[in-house]
Amino acid sequence: MAENTGAYVRKVKRAAKIIFYRRHRQPGVKGWELRRALGKEYVKIVDLLNQHLSSIGLQVNTVYEGSERPQNPTSEQLDRARFYMAVKEPLTSSDLVMSGWRVDDVAALVVAVSYIISKQGKAARKDIEQILREKFPKWRVERNLNRYIRQGYLNEVDDVLYLDWRARAEIDQKTLIKLVIGGETSPSSDQTATTP
Amino acid sequence: MKSSKDRNRLLRIISLCVAIERKGENPFEVGVKEALETLRKYLPHWKALEDFALDAETLNRISSIVSLQGNWIKHRSSTLFVDPLLIELKVKMLEPEKLLQIFRRTWRPVIEMDRLSKKRVLEAIDYWNRLQSLDERLMKLPEPTGVLDLTSIEELIKARIINEESFTALLQKFWLELKEKAVGEGRIHYWDFIYAPSYEETVVRAYLTSFLVTYGFATMEIEPLEEETFLVPYMELRELSFKEQMISFPISIDYDIWKEMAEGR
Repeated sequence: MAENTGAYVRKVKRAAKIIFYRRHRQPGVKGWELRRALGKEYVKIVDLLNQHLSSIGLQVNTVYEGSERPQNPTSEQLDRARFYMAVKEPLTSSDLVMSGWRVDDVAALVVAVSYIISKQGKAARKDIEQILREKFPKWRVERNLNRYIRQGYLNEVDDVLYLDWRARAEIDQKTLIKLVIGGETSPSSDQTATTP
Repeated sequence: MKSSKDRNRLLRIISLCVAIERKGENPFEVGVKEALETLRKYLPHWKALEDFALDAETLNRISSIVSLQGNWIKHRSSTLFVDPLLIELKVKMLEPEKLLQIFRRTWRPVIEMDRLSKKRVLEAIDYWNRLQSLDERLMKLPEPTGVLDLTSIEELIKARIINEESFTALLQKFWLELKEKAVGEGRIHYWDFIYAPSYEETVVRAYLTSFLVTYGFATMEIEPLEEETFLVPYMELRELSFKEQMISFPISIDYDIWKEMAEGR
């Protein structure tokens, strides 16, 4: 029994290292990498790790291929999914200020991401530029979009913009759309459901 | 060929399908039934190979549209569906500060850490200790006789040192070998792939491998924790994207490592 517990503790520590430390160009690891390192029960190990992380405001996010999270993911879907370490609760205003984002940069990102979501995950770059140029100068729009592409929020193929890995890993798309449509952003309603 | 008018008709169908696919517009704007009827009507009249190719291309594009129509319906019935016009209107009305608040409530930034292993630190210290000062190194360099630059494959081909066809064929053969050896796990340990019975041959294989990775035939996976490097072949040749940040990853083809491997086999 104690041996089993010890083995689980070792695996949880190893899972934390694998997910936390940068291994590839993108952060996080694929499910099959976790399976290789932790064995078939890697999902259980990640759940245990999540229990520990929860107390310090972190969690492991699982991002599946495709835009929707499967209700009962198969082992193949889990193997192809990417596991990231992320902040669990919404940031406070001061956290966001400390992250170095300018208000207009964030606004442009929200506009681009929500428009792309509404267009089923891809939209012509010029359409997004047109919306942004109503409020921002041309040079800033171009600079911002290029920056989002560099940061991994957007991906551009043949003048069409897609949501890239960072947008899918970091932004709770359903809540974003709900808030954009509702327009309600009172600070008291911060208890937004986190993406598992 | 029946007539250039008919061919233009198919080209128009193709360009409509491509435009819909690229812009993410409503795929139901394409009249699939009419397009298929047009294809059926023209098919018996095609004679030339290029006409059949055009017919096949049109059919391929129409099938992509049918697939998009399926996704469109799925998306409309999903919780993420919202009219793009409504979103456009809403985001135009919202002030940047409001958008900032929305972002704050939906953003869960990813956290990651870079770290150095003890082994890498020791290697770095050793390297630093052995490294001569810049002045000493510069003194040893011969006087430049012309413009110095790295020799690219194109230049070697131009100078007729290597033959373009033979080099391309060699790379293709090498790529096939990598794909065969990586079957199963989808990747192979770098040293397992480049190892050859002689050290010279190993160096040549490492040299060719660098081209496989640089030219989009394969990629490398580096596991810093285990300090292991793997080669992952692409099934299709990837176009190089210079928008992405390219990185160089030097690997020392150390004679001692090769010797250890040779003794272990």
